[in-house]
Amino acid sequence: MRANIHAAGLLVGAIVLAWVLNPGLLIAEEVNLSFDHFYDHVQLTKALQTLEKAYPQLATLQSIGKSFAGRDIWAIILNNPKTGPAEHKPGYYIDGNIHGNEIQGTEVALYAVYYLLKNYGRTELATRLLDDRSFYVVPTMNPDSRDWYINKVSDPNSPRSGLVPFDDDRDGVADEDAPDDLDGDGSITTMRKKDPNGMYKPHPDDSRIMVRVKPGEKGEYILLGQEGIDNDGDGLINEDGPGGYDMNRNFGFNWQPDYVQMGAGPYPFCWPETRAVRDFVMAHPNIQGAQSFHNFGGMILRGPGAKNLGDFSPADRSVYDYVGKKGEKILPRYRYITIYKDMYTVYGGSLDFLYSALGIFTFSNELDLDPVEQPTPQRRGGEEQEAEDEEARMMMFQGGRLEEMVYHDLVLMGEQWSNWKPCKHPLYGNIEIGGVKKFGERVPPLFRLAETCHRNAAFCLYHADQLARLEFEKAEVTKVNGDLYQVDIAIGNSRVSPSIASVTVQKKLHRADRLLLSGQKVELVAAGQIIDRFRNLTRKIETQKNTLWVESGVPGFGRLELRLMVKGSGQAELVYDSLKGGQKTKSVVLQ
Amino acid sequence: MNRRARVLFGLAALLVLSVFAGANSFSGKYRTPDEVATALRSLASAHPQIAKLIPIGKSQGGSEIAVLRIAAQAKGRPDPDSRTAAFIAANIEGTHLLGTEAALALSEKLLNGYGSDKAVTELIDSRTVYVAPLLNPDAARAFFSSPQFEHTRNARPIDEDLDMQVDEDGPDDLNKDGLITQIRVKDPEGKWLPDPKEPRLMKMADPQKGEKGIFRVYIEGLENDGDGEYNEDPAGGVELNRNFPHDFEYSVKTAGLYPVSEAETLALVGFLANHRNISLVLNFSTENTILNLQQTGQAKAAADRVKVPRMIATFLGLEPDQEYTLKEIVDAANASGMGGGMEITEDMVAMFLGIGAAVQIDRQDMPVIEAVQKDYKEALKEAKLDYPENRTKGVGKGSFAAYCYFQYGVPVFSVDLWAVPEPKKEPAKDALTAEKLRTMTSEEFLALGEDKINAMLKEQGAPPNFSAEMLIKMVKSGQVDPKKMAEMMEKMPKRPPSEGEEHPDAYVLKWADASLQKKGFVDWTPFRHPTLGDVEVGGFAPYLRTVPPPGEAEKTIAFHTDFCIGLIKKLPGLEISKTEVKSLGSELYQLTAYFTNPGWFPTSTAQGRRARTAWPITVRLKLGSEQALFSGRPIESIPFLDGSGDTKKVEWTVKGKKGTSLIISAATPRLGTASVTVVLD
Repeated sequence: MRANIHAAGLLVGAIVLAWVLNPGLLIAEEVNLSFDHFYDHVQLTKALQTLEKAYPQLATLQSIGKSFAGRDIWAIILNNPKTGPAEHKPGYYIDGNIHGNEIQGTEVALYAVYYLLKNYGRTELATRLLDDRSFYVVPTMNPDSRDWYINKVSDPNSPRSGLVPFDDDRDGVADEDAPDDLDGDGSITTMRKKDPNGMYKPHPDDSRIMVRVKPGEKGEYILLGQEGIDNDGDGLINEDGPGGYDMNRNFGFNWQPDYVQMGAGPYPFCWPETRAVRDFVMAHPNIQGAQSFHNFGGMILRGPGAKNLGDFSPADRSVYDYVGKKGEKILPRYRYITIYKDMYTVYGGSLDFLYSALGIFTFSNELDLDPVEQPTPQRRGGEEQEAEDEEARMMMFQGGRLEEMVYHDLVLMGEQWSNWKPCKHPLYGNIEIGGVKKFGERVPPLFRLAETCHRNAAFCLYHADQLARLEFEKAEVTKVNGDLYQVDIAIGNSRVSPSIASVTVQKKLHRADRLLLSGQKVELVAAGQIIDRFRNLTRKIETQKNTLWVESGVPGFGRLELRLMVKGSGQAELVYDSLKGGQKTKSVVLQ
Repeated sequence: MNRRARVLFGLAALLVLSVFAGANSFSGKYRTPDEVATALRSLASAHPQIAKLIPIGKSQGGSEIAVLRIAAQAKGRPDPDSRTAAFIAANIEGTHLLGTEAALALSEKLLNGYGSDKAVTELIDSRTVYVAPLLNPDAARAFFSSPQFEHTRNARPIDEDLDMQVDEDGPDDLNKDGLITQIRVKDPEGKWLPDPKEPRLMKMADPQKGEKGIFRVYIEGLENDGDGEYNEDPAGGVELNRNFPHDFEYSVKTAGLYPVSEAETLALVGFLANHRNISLVLNFSTENTILNLQQTGQAKAAADRVKVPRMIATFLGLEPDQEYTLKEIVDAANASGMGGGMEITEDMVAMFLGIGAAVQIDRQDMPVIEAVQKDYKEALKEAKLDYPENRTKGVGKGSFAAYCYFQYGVPVFSVDLWAVPEPKKEPAKDALTAEKLRTMTSEEFLALGEDKINAMLKEQGAPPNFSAEMLIKMVKSGQVDPKKMAEMMEKMPKRPPSEGEEHPDAYVLKWADASLQKKGFVDWTPFRHPTLGDVEVGGFAPYLRTVPPPGEAEKTIAFHTDFCIGLIKKLPGLEISKTEVKSLGSELYQLTAYFTNPGWFPTSTAQGRRARTAWPITVRLKLGSEQALFSGRPIESIPFLDGSGDTKKVEWTVKGKKGTSLIISAATPRLGTASVTVVLD
């Protein structure tokens, strides 16, 4: 009996011990999410609630605001509180689906959350990340258009906007002439009409493909644009669809009005979705790294979005480069590039706001490449031009290739291709409707969704791991005389991100790091930063009530060395408190 | 409440109201934000049929911001919020208490004039006037606080010095005179010294003139938080007139984190965005944008020729290293089939390539602005209110007025109402004024000789590299003549007189001494400062330059309210002035409608059209059930109508039975809707 009690005690002890060491092991209810389909808002809500319920000690779900149509914008916060409160750890932020049609970012964000929770206590990386960092994840910023895209009639490219009515054609009425699903197949495709003077003809090898005729050649068809009719009788077709603005041009840094930056809205943060994200990110100033998912083209983007900002400082650029170039290896065929230089100009994009106004290192991945598999051309010496042409093709999806039809017919088995079929149009008369359906471009085919999720989540986790990781490397006490002590401190940073971005130091975006000294009988008399340890040179730092401010923080892959002159005796506690680099504590004894 | 009590109560209420209504006109005493709110409420309740108080938000500090809507609602008239309107804004800076009083006075003039003054009655019957007399109540409170500290910030608590404490080190009234002035303290590193001619004024030492500074100058205050800095984290806030989205200064704490970040600016911009019927903004502030047309911001260099990013250039068949005009890029883009049937325009390309915002007043809008400027100058002269134009302030970065013109897309006129009177310098007898130049021939001008021309250039504040020699060459070659010079001279931003003889503030001090019984300047007096040691406290009293003393305000308020009402009468409008029906035989009719702007202002500004916040006029033809359109379109668009009766026609050919009718309407959000029923005859 006694032995039994002992045994039971041991068992309980072992369980407690196991839980303390490895809490993930003892989660009773296994959550299994699949990444072979897209989650609409109801499904996403359920998945997030299930995760929160299964991992109550690690995950907190909150609604950060309502979309225009009243849907909750969810944020899930991950942190292991046993290792400290979330705000004392460097934070990593992810959002997805700011553009309503760019839906797979939501699955990637959800997958990153799922992966971390599921593997906490299982893999060293997931455990370390949830112990040392906090995660703030908004899987969809634009639930209204997400649901529209998934559940209603749409085409691959819309609705990109949110769903606040917008008068695109400036006739005083909003959203009155959207495309129409004339053939009732659930997708908006294209219209063509037989015309002896047309500019297009069927491809000789596949009559479903329209090709432009050569100069002097006669065509057989004219293309009439997207499927639809002139709903408002103004002579234009499909000129004022749902919404019509761009939330990723509505952020409050380097914002420009609509006539300079199409879609910007009347002023920054004028929509409920952008406001919710602004407030959420600003409420968590410990966020140091971020990712905002888009599609598509296989790119790891960094700012600045526009030339007028000038490039980032060399110090911050080297942080971006270090993480971004590693990203190219994690994500085959993705290219790490700069928006304004390599792509186009974006004013008022979220990543410029996060970096240039809040000091957060932010990437934006353009998820997925042209889904049509084709042999990668061998780059021979001197064929840069050809490679660039290829890249341009990958970026700007062009319909009308034979390979594409093979892909549609034999890989997707016809699911995302709508064959040309005759239709009677009120204006154009006898026409044909057909083309690629909404899930046939821009989003990955479902059999590849899991890979998109895993690799891009892996890139996020890598970046999260590369946020500042501060440790007290040294705290040496030397007695000077009487009750005066010299305390030499080194705070190391084993990751590439500095505890304060150089843009923050330059523009004073937020408070500096500080070192606090506490103890019953201790007084900070003077302090300096050791700038040459061989010559024993220090640069004086003003102190104030046992606090000293470290204006430029701890550099990435580097250390900060301080020398304190402390009066007093007994135990003293040192706290290095960095807004974005986390908080670390060290005790010393003055003797 | 019984009937008797109710009647008594009603009488009492009426009495109270009439007292308030009577107390509204400017009495020489500036009203506090709470008194302004009371005045607005009593104006609204005294004129319930034409006045409506619309709360639009609360300031950061919790004061209500309200708009008084003045418009008569009558049967058959469009709703006040969907007919042409003027918006009167005042005191966005908080220091411009005079503007608040002027806006209230203007409201009263309109409200009291309704029914008695014919023109005002007509205006209020057909147009709407929105008046927002106090847009920065938090800063306005500073005028009424003790100590008085002049500033333009709202009450948002900002940690200016990033020490995790908020508003902990503001100024302090050391000499207990109720005013925050300055401290000067002798310091070996000091950069300031007393002006040799007027030792009460401090000037920066100019080493080139052999001057060495001896003082440091601070705002009056203590080092409250022990960080070695003085007054670096005062109460508040964001300077609201820098928080608007045109040419906003990022990374400047007092401008706000981003445009329209503040409760007050958001309330205002939100109100404007939701009232698309506003076609004119008049703004009482320290800026005078009628007299000073200078703009902020830098034009994009080489905006007309741009490089195309490599990837897109490849796609379009352009050279990535070469520069192209927008038109060339548009042609290439359209030829590439990139638009997929949609036409690519220069606008789209400009946007795609990030070509920036306009920073200058559009040339097409200048005639309207110049005409208002001419009227204003003449009226000022007549009222004997003109003062040196070179003292007027143009718009600043992120200002409300610049936002209204460049982004909201309507004409805007800011007037400052008052400035410290400056004795006009009588130009020397032989000085070259614009008037004199205008009458000169090129030969007469050249005959003046280099010295006189140089003196003129100096007087006009021409850049130092612009010499008489150059000008003479230009006149000789015919590039410029004296008449053109005179025009340029009048348009040139007026600079303060070149420094040298007199301290730039000397005239302010002279005026304060003469007119304010020396109350405008606190003489330097010794003070024992806890951290700076022996200092002197003194300097100009706050609000000296923005708030005129009693007695000086009434005249300018009377003048400017009249001038502004005159501008409001010039609002554009939209009418279908005439329709014609001509039978073409066999039930075919030629239909012509004429659309007219009866107002003086054009229906939109060129900048508004560029910014796409001035809408075209949408003309709609609504046919009867048995009619059909033979030619023309059921929806047509007229880009804009010029002022003073400009008319454009639209024609249709309609098939229909004789005697049947159809409806023609024209609408644009800024001007409302006009419609007419036409019978085929």
